[in-house]
This record gives sequence, C-alpha cells and structure tokens, in this order.
Amino acid sequence: MSGPGTAWYLALAAFLFGTGALGVLIRRNPLIVLLSLEIMLNGANLALIAFSRHVHNGTGQIFALAVMAVAASEVCVGLGLVVALHRRRLALDVDTLSELRG
Amino acid sequence: MILAFSAGNVLVWIVWIAAGFACLASGIAVVSFSNPFYSALALIGNLGSLAVMYLLVSAEFVAAAQVLVYAGAVMVMFLFVIAYVGPELEAPWAGGPRWQSLAAVLAAGSLLTEIIVVIGLKAGGSLAHDGSVPGTFGTPGWIGRLFLTDHLLAFEITSIVLLVAAVGGVILGSHTQRGAET
Amino acid sequence: MSGGAWLCLLSPLAGALAITTGGTAISRRTAAWISTGTTFLAFAGAVWAFLSLRSQSGHHGELTTAWTWLQSGSFKVGLTLLVDPLSTLMMLIVSGVGALIVLYSVGYMDGDDEERRYFAYMSLFVFSMLTLVEGGNLLLLLVGWGLVGLSSYLLIGFWHERPSAVAAAKKAFVMNAFGDATMALAFFVLIAHTHSLSFATDFNVHLSSTAQTLVALGLLGGAAAKSAQIPLQTWLPDAMEGPTPVSALIHAATMVTAGVYLIARTHPIFEQARTVELIAAGTGALTLVVAGLVALVQTDIKRVIAYSTMSQIGYMFMGVGVGAYANGMFHLLTHAFFKALLFMAAGVVIHALAGEQDIRKMRGIGALMPLTKWCFLAGALALVGVPPFAGFFSKDSIVAATLGLGWYGYVFWACGVLGALLTGLYTFRLWFLVFPGEPSPFVREHHHTHHGQEGPWTMLVPIGLLALLATAAGWLQFAPIWHPLTDWLEPAARTLAVAEPTNTQEYVTSVVTVVAGLAGIAIAWAVYAGGRARRPSLPFVQRTLEHKFWFDELYDAVFYRPTVALSALLRTEVEDAIVLPTGPDLGRTTLEAGALVRRLQTGLLRTYVLFLAGGAAIVAFVFLLAK
Repeated sequence: MSGPGTAWYLALAAFLFGTGALGVLIRRNPLIVLLSLEIMLNGANLALIAFSRHVHNGTGQIFALAVMAVAASEVCVGLGLVVALHRRRLALDVDTLSELRG
Repeated sequence: MILAFSAGNVLVWIVWIAAGFACLASGIAVVSFSNPFYSALALIGNLGSLAVMYLLVSAEFVAAAQVLVYAGAVMVMFLFVIAYVGPELEAPWAGGPRWQSLAAVLAAGSLLTEIIVVIGLKAGGSLAHDGSVPGTFGTPGWIGRLFLTDHLLAFEITSIVLLVAAVGGVILGSHTQRGAET
Repeated sequence: MSGGAWLCLLSPLAGALAITTGGTAISRRTAAWISTGTTFLAFAGAVWAFLSLRSQSGHHGELTTAWTWLQSGSFKVGLTLLVDPLSTLMMLIVSGVGALIVLYSVGYMDGDDEERRYFAYMSLFVFSMLTLVEGGNLLLLLVGWGLVGLSSYLLIGFWHERPSAVAAAKKAFVMNAFGDATMALAFFVLIAHTHSLSFATDFNVHLSSTAQTLVALGLLGGAAAKSAQIPLQTWLPDAMEGPTPVSALIHAATMVTAGVYLIARTHPIFEQARTVELIAAGTGALTLVVAGLVALVQTDIKRVIAYSTMSQIGYMFMGVGVGAYANGMFHLLTHAFFKALLFMAAGVVIHALAGEQDIRKMRGIGALMPLTKWCFLAGALALVGVPPFAGFFSKDSIVAATLGLGWYGYVFWACGVLGALLTGLYTFRLWFLVFPGEPSPFVREHHHTHHGQEGPWTMLVPIGLLALLATAAGWLQFAPIWHPLTDWLEPAARTLAVAEPTNTQEYVTSVVTVVAGLAGIAIAWAVYAGGRARRPSLPFVQRTLEHKFWFDELYDAVFYRPTVALSALLRTEVEDAIVLPTGPDLGRTTLEAGALVRRLQTGLLRTYVLFLAGGAAIVAFVFLLAK
C-alpha cells in the first residue's frame, strides 16, 4: 500500500506528544493533567504502530497493546487519587499540593 | 518522501489528512478547554481518529482494541469521575510562577523540534517505504499467536499490572476510617 | 690544607651558635671570651692553611667539597671551599685583624647590657666574611656576600633604641641589596650561558661581548655597593652609628674590601670586558678624590676616618681596575692594619671621653693619653704614605701602575697624586685638632682613666700590635726590587702586563706622591696647628662639602619620595578600594546567588515536571549533536 510514508506518522506522533507535554506542564486541574498524559501515551503508541508496519514486525503492535493496558491501570489509580482528594474536600489544583516547596 | 499518486492512493491520502487533522485538533482541544468534561470528550475524538490511523497501517486488532478499551472503558471511567467531581473550571494558562508557562512552551517545543529534526535527517534514507505486507499482518489471530509464543512474558506481566491496578483502585476508592474525613 | 680552611670557617660559626644557644645562661664576659677565642682559633686555621699551601709546589691551591648542595638538571652546586693564594691571603687578614678587633671589643663593650648579642653578631660576621673569601664557587660567594650584609645591618643598628642607628642600618642594607640584585642578575646571565657557577667554568668561557659586559657590570654594581664607591657610597658615613669596633672591622678592614676581592677573584670575566674594568678604575679614581674633599670638613672623628676609608678603597679599585691585582690586594692588606688601628685608637679616645666624638672639643687630649697618641700617629703616617710606613709601599705601586694605559691612565695618575695631597691634609687636620697642645677645658673635665691607665689592656694591646704592623708591614713588598706578594698571588691573579710600571715610573711616582703627602701635612700644620695661615672661607664650597656633594638629597628626591607617594597612592586606590571590600563582597554575592536559585524551588509539581521535560530536551539535543 502507498500513501504517506512512515515519516508522516512519526511527525504526527511527535505533535501529539508535544501537545500532551504542554498540557501536563501548564494545566492545574489533575483530571486534565491525566487526560494530557493519555495523549502523550497515544502519541507513543502511534509511533510504535508505524514502525511495526515499517519493519514488518509484530513486536511494535504487541508493545502498543501493553502500553494500552498500562495506561488503563494508571488511569484507574490516578482517578482513585482524584476521588480521594475530592472526598477530603481538598482543592483539585496541583499547585496547592506543594509540600515540596523550598 | 515518496508521494506516489494513483487512484487508491489519493483516497488513502485524503483519509490520512482528515484523520490527522482531527487528531491534532482534538489534542489541542483537550489542553485548551477549561471545562474538564469538554476535554474528555475531545479526547474521545482523538482516540477515534487514532483508530482510523491504525487501520490505515493494517493494524486492525490494535484499532479495535483502541476503540473498545481506550475509548470505551477508560474514557467512560474518566467521564464517571468528572461527573462525580463536578465541573471545576480553570483557565488554561493561569497560575504558577511567571516563567512556568514560557518555559513549558519552550520545553515542549524543543522536544517536538528535535524529533522532527531526527525524522528529517532519516527521511529519504531508511524511512522509505519498501513494499507490501502479508495479508495476515495485524489480524487478531496473528496478534494472538505472537502474544502466546514470542511475547508470552509481556502478556503475563501486563495481566499482573492490571491486577495490581485494580486492587489499588479499590483501596484508594474505599471509605477511609472514621476520623480521617474532614 | 683543607683542614685549616674548615677550621678557619667553622670556628666563628661554632662561637656564634654557642653564644646564641647559651643565652642568658652564660655570663656576658664568657660570651665575649668565647667569641674572641674562636676568632683566634680561626686565625690559627688560616695560618695552617697558608703554611700547607706554601709547602705545595706551584701554589695552585685546591678545591674541597663537603657535599652537593643544589642540583637541577645539569646545574650542580656544592658546598665547596677554595684554598688558593688569594683566599689564604684574605683568610689571614680577616681572621687576624678580626681577632685583634674582637679582643679590643672585650674592653670597649664591657658593661653594655647586650654584650652577648654583640659578640654573637661579631662571630657571625667573621664567619660570613670567611664564607665569602673561602667560597669555591660563585654561589657560596654570594651566600657570604648576603650574610655579611646582614651582619653589617645587625651591627650598625646594634643600639636599636637610637632612631639614627636604625635608619643608618636600613640605609646600608637597602643600598647593599641593590648591589646584591645586580650581582644576582650577573649570575643569571652566567647560568643561562654556562649552566654552572663554578670558578673553573665561568672564568674560562667566552661569551658574546654583550653578555660579558652585562655580567661584569652586574659584578661591578655589587662591588661598588659593598665597597661604598660612587654612586652607592652614601651608606658608609651613616654606618658610623654602630660601635667603634664594628666600624673598625666591618667598615674599614674587611667587609668594604669585599668588592676589591670580588674584582680580583673574578678578574678573568673583567678582563674580557675591559671597558667595565676601566670603569671600575675610573669609579675608584673619582671616589678617592670626592671622599678626600668631603673629609676636609667633617667634625666627627669617626666620619673623618670613614671618608678616609672610602678614599683608600678608591685607590684599591683603581689598582684592580687597571689590572694590578697584587698591588690592589697589597694596599688592602696594609689598609686593614692602619685603618683598624686608626679606628681603634679613636675608640680609645671616645671611650676615655665617655662617648664624645666631636673633634672640636677634643683638643689636646694627646697630653693625657700618650700611648694612644703615638699609635694614632703611626697609623696616620702609614695612611698618608710616608716612608718607611706601610702605606707608602702599597699606595705608590698602585698609582704607578696606571701610567701604562694611555690618556686616561694619566688622569688616574693625577687623581692618585691629588688624593695623596688630600689624604695628608685631612688626616693631619684631624691629628693637629685632637692630639697635640694643651688639653681643652672640656677634655680636663670629662677625661677619665681606666684604673690609672689609658684604657683596659684588651684595648691597648691590639692598637699597639697594629701600630707595629702599620710601621713594618709595608716592607713585605717594594715593587721593583722585591715582590714576594705579587709572586704569591700570581697563580690566582696575575698582574696584567699593561699595569706593570717600569722602574723609572715607579721611582718617579713614589717621589711625587710622597711630596704631595708631605705638602698636605705641611698645609694642615700651617692652618690647624699654629694658626699661621687662615683657612680660606668659600661658603659655596663649604656647603657642598658639608652636604657631601648633595648625594643624599638627590637620592631622597629620586628614589625615596616617589616610592612613598606610590605606596600612598596604592593604598587608597588599590587596597582600600579593591582589595578590602572583596571579602564582604564575595559573601554577599554568594548569598544573592543562593537566593536567586531558591526561586526555582516553587513547590509546584508542574515545575518539577517542567524540569524533567527540559532535561529530556537537553539530553536529546546532546545526542543530536553527537550524531
């Protein structure tokens, strides 16, 4: 099949990764931070899948599936944290959770 | 880069550009909305467009898993929690020390640029397409065979990770002892 | 031979160490006798070395090395002593005259609170001077050179409660340090070319004429500083602030003659830079006239003798400068005798008058101190060069040696004759003002005897002995007829052919200089003894001579004031403005930097993630560059 080469997929994956990183760095709501984290993982996944197609090897797809599973478990734990925060009436703002201040 | 235009090829390109545009737009939407609910919905769109991308690369099983697991289960969980917590509106660029936002843009931008540069250096070289794949590439049976033969260890460990996460989630979500609640 | 040399060198050192470590545990008298005893022991060692060298055929001398002292690549320097005719001559003079002077000090310094310190310093000085003359390579010579400068400083400033003494000591040391610096530079040039400081190498090498001239000039600078020749002569009169025996030993007989010894020792270097050697002779000629003139107006008895020393060393410089090394050394020998005698006799007078040194008050003391009077007269006649006293033989041979050189030889000759006239004049001005005639009221009032005698025996015996030597020692050499000293010194310092006068020249010169000396005595007698002639009153001349030709004022304006101004300037501009605030500034800057860095620790999770991302970006960049 033809169409865009692997480079295009990789460029798109890079953009996704960058966007997700930006979101992690500038948003204060932990939920949105988690969502941005998801975007970063997806960007990595896209790169993996593209390379898998490029080298005709199934390892990339297996790896992508494993990443998906890990992302799911991480979201589970993260959301549990958010719920626990909410239960204790703490503000949902990563800036206020600043016990590491120097 | 090789741009070979033929009839089927044009279709592939159109689909790719559409999916790519949707992917980027939804990604930017996720980090830009102040309402987390809208951000979650944008992410769902992102995941869907990515599934289309996977189909274009003959990774059918992964595309299906993406829609079922990611968009279907993970995002639903997200939406549950967002509904539970409530809409906390928050402006995207506010807060933190003055230099935080600028430095963030710079860091993310430089990462992006570096990756593009690497790709650019390699393009025309080893990133050139080299032909077709067998018909079984990306099919569920093929993936399953790989999971249970070559990558059995990865398979088992992933399942353990899932188990641990489930247990952790339950503990985190359980009611705390009396007296710790404010 | 070497045994004698080591004994000679080390006994004064042992004496100095014994006195120093003894401290207050030994009595003052004991310290005095330790010093005297070790100096006499040194003399015995010198005699031993001399006799065993004489018995060696050829008299070439030997080098004896204790151990290698410095080694750097191919440059090796050892603790080497040289026993050759020149060094044994100097050893005998230094230890012999030194022993007599230390004995004299036992009487002179009796009762002083810090006698132990004095005798320790004296022994140190004798050791240093012996190191200088016995040194077997240039480095050891330089060590001795520096040590005698140090001892001179310590002894001039011995009575350190007196500000004038301290200032004089500093002045002497600083001017000598200038000479040391030029000598060190000369040595650097030598090392650069020959990688060695041994006599054998450095005297037989042929450098480019520029290098040779530089080395000779450096050595001449050191010699001129140490021997108080123009332009580095201003420290010597001030050095009279020290005790009289110090003046006798250091500033008459031995240390100031070190410059003459240096030129004689390093004469191969000078002979290859003949111009510099002639400059040395010219310096000597100039100094002897200038010093003679200034001595005419001095009123302190010690200063007259000090300027006389400066003048006589001018003669010696002239002698070695034209190439008559043996003649210069002969004058050094006789001068040591009669100059030490003059100083010590003056010291007896000063001691008897309880410290008075102004000659205008001392009139007629000869009537009360006959022994001293006759000894002083013997020394004075020897100084003027009246036959058969010692100075006649030595001084005339120098003046005669200048005749073979051409037009400047005649100039030197004229200076020598003029110097003889001036010597007669100032010496006998001093004699007629102090000794003969009726004792003045001041003398009657202040004179005191020492248990009925003129002074203690420790002071009278040395001056008696030296008076005999001043009379008789000249018969050692009468140049045309018999010259054992020149023969003795020939292996070490052969007289240049151009500096050997013919018999006629020698006789004519002798007659002329003796006539000039007697004329000077006659003028002095006419003016000061009977008042038959009036001293001419020339106020400008008088003032110039009293200000010693304005040398001190010149040096003050050129060197001292700018230096003081510079240091004041540095103090305000550099020290107060830059250096002092540095400490507090450094601390403050560190604190501010720390405060700046602290702002990175915001406590926000997002910031730390940012650092993660930034770090990853930088690492990726580095990898990109590496590709």
